[in-house]
Amino acid sequence: MIKKRPGGELASRPLHFFWVADCSGSMSGDKIQQLNTAIRETIPYMQKVAEENPYASLLIRSIKFSDGAQWHISQPTPVADFKWLDLSAGGMTDMGKAMSLLAEQLQIPPMTDRALPPVLVLISDGQPTDEFNEGLNALMALPWGKKSVRIAIAIGKDADCDTLQQFIGHSEMQPLKANNPEQLINYIRWVSTAVIKSVSSPPSQPETNSQSVVNVPLPPLPVPDPTSAGDVW
Amino acid sequence: MVSLSLFWEVIGKSVRGASHCRSGMTNQDDINYYPGQGASDTVMIAVSDGHGSPRCFRSDRGADFAVKAAVGSLRDFICDQDPCQSLSDIRQTAKDRLSREITMRWQHSVESHYKIYPFSESEYQILKDHSHFYAYGATVISVCVTPWFILYIQLGDGDILTVSAKGEVERPLPVDTRLFANETTSLCATHAWADFRFWVQTDLVNLPDMILLSTDGYANSFQDDSGFLKVARDIWEILRSDGKDYVQKHLEEWLNETSEGGSGDDITVGLVFPSR
Repeated sequence: MIKKRPGGELASRPLHFFWVADCSGSMSGDKIQQLNTAIRETIPYMQKVAEENPYASLLIRSIKFSDGAQWHISQPTPVADFKWLDLSAGGMTDMGKAMSLLAEQLQIPPMTDRALPPVLVLISDGQPTDEFNEGLNALMALPWGKKSVRIAIAIGKDADCDTLQQFIGHSEMQPLKANNPEQLINYIRWVSTAVIKSVSSPPSQPETNSQSVVNVPLPPLPVPDPTSAGDVW
Repeated sequence: MVSLSLFWEVIGKSVRGASHCRSGMTNQDDINYYPGQGASDTVMIAVSDGHGSPRCFRSDRGADFAVKAAVGSLRDFICDQDPCQSLSDIRQTAKDRLSREITMRWQHSVESHYKIYPFSESEYQILKDHSHFYAYGATVISVCVTPWFILYIQLGDGDILTVSAKGEVERPLPVDTRLFANETTSLCATHAWADFRFWVQTDLVNLPDMILLSTDGYANSFQDDSGFLKVARDIWEILRSDGKDYVQKHLEEWLNETSEGGSGDDITVGLVFPSR
């Protein structure tokens, strides 16, 4: 009789993806509407990328922050079942509280050490109105906080790029500046597809103590469309 | 020095990861052991995982050099030991010498290969400001069993498991907290020799009944660590019930199935066990 394969239950490695969206008053109107549209429309592309790599299980969640921060989609949702619920805007910019919420979920447990590096996408058009550093420090004190892939999208000219750079935590990448709907859609599409593709099969990296090195080699940024509208935000 | 007249055998297999089969990437792992077949009172084995990143574009060669450097260094090390030497002296010499010797041999192999096959202009651009060693980056895990002691060596990710005569599975080396996410210590690091970890087992009463070495694609394929530890226990049981030839015959299909249903990564496994 042929013996069965040695070992316990097999599983692909979990890849946790977090949208962290600014829903303060300044996002109201066109910005929040375009963000909702961009994320919703990119879901089929995310699903396609996930299907192409069955060795990673893409699980999506979402945090919104304005007056405080809340889970918008709290359960790690398999991309195949993921549906975007429209955000609405109003209130302050409590970005630090959003960092604290992330930190709670990036601890081990509930995370496992066999997970792929989590992807955190922070989208904001303004400056934090709470203790941002407190939340960020809590996040970066965690092994998965340090090793997460952190991407920031700055919407419009008033976005606080210094704060977003602090969130990214190294100089090899800058906040992505979306000054019109086309740029926002391009960047949302890029993080939802090309970045996920890179993170779902990350090669080993020789260990380094430097904070300035990207944990996972990121794909080239999307080239701006010369025919797209100029700055509108 | 107390010695034990026990003969050991070594088998192993390396398979290309399921994701690498899809992408067209070659197997970046490698394995080497001595003796190639049959039993001996002294055996040694090494497995290596080439990093496989775009910047480590020759890591398959690096893994090949790593396993050869480890087995070659261990053979010379064992030949050089005076049987009258105390085990504590051997332990110290191993720590002082072996890590440097393995690193030096690996670097020498890389240098020779690099001289014959220099990088193209585009490869230099990919490498940026890293040294040419970086392109060959790889880990190395090795075990040497002698009549006097068992030596466990590890640089980088991957696992060594032992199974006792009662079937208990343990890790002889403690977990290295530096190996988190996809980061690993590596032979291509500037002071690689300082990152090696060692354990010398001199307790000849409680010898392991099987030792398993594997690259990280194996452990990463299971839902949790207990599922991976079960691998060692299951293979040990199959070895006892069906023998070495059965394991050798089925190892490749087991590893392929594991990669396909799990991490998708290359998997290499080496097994050391007393000859029965």
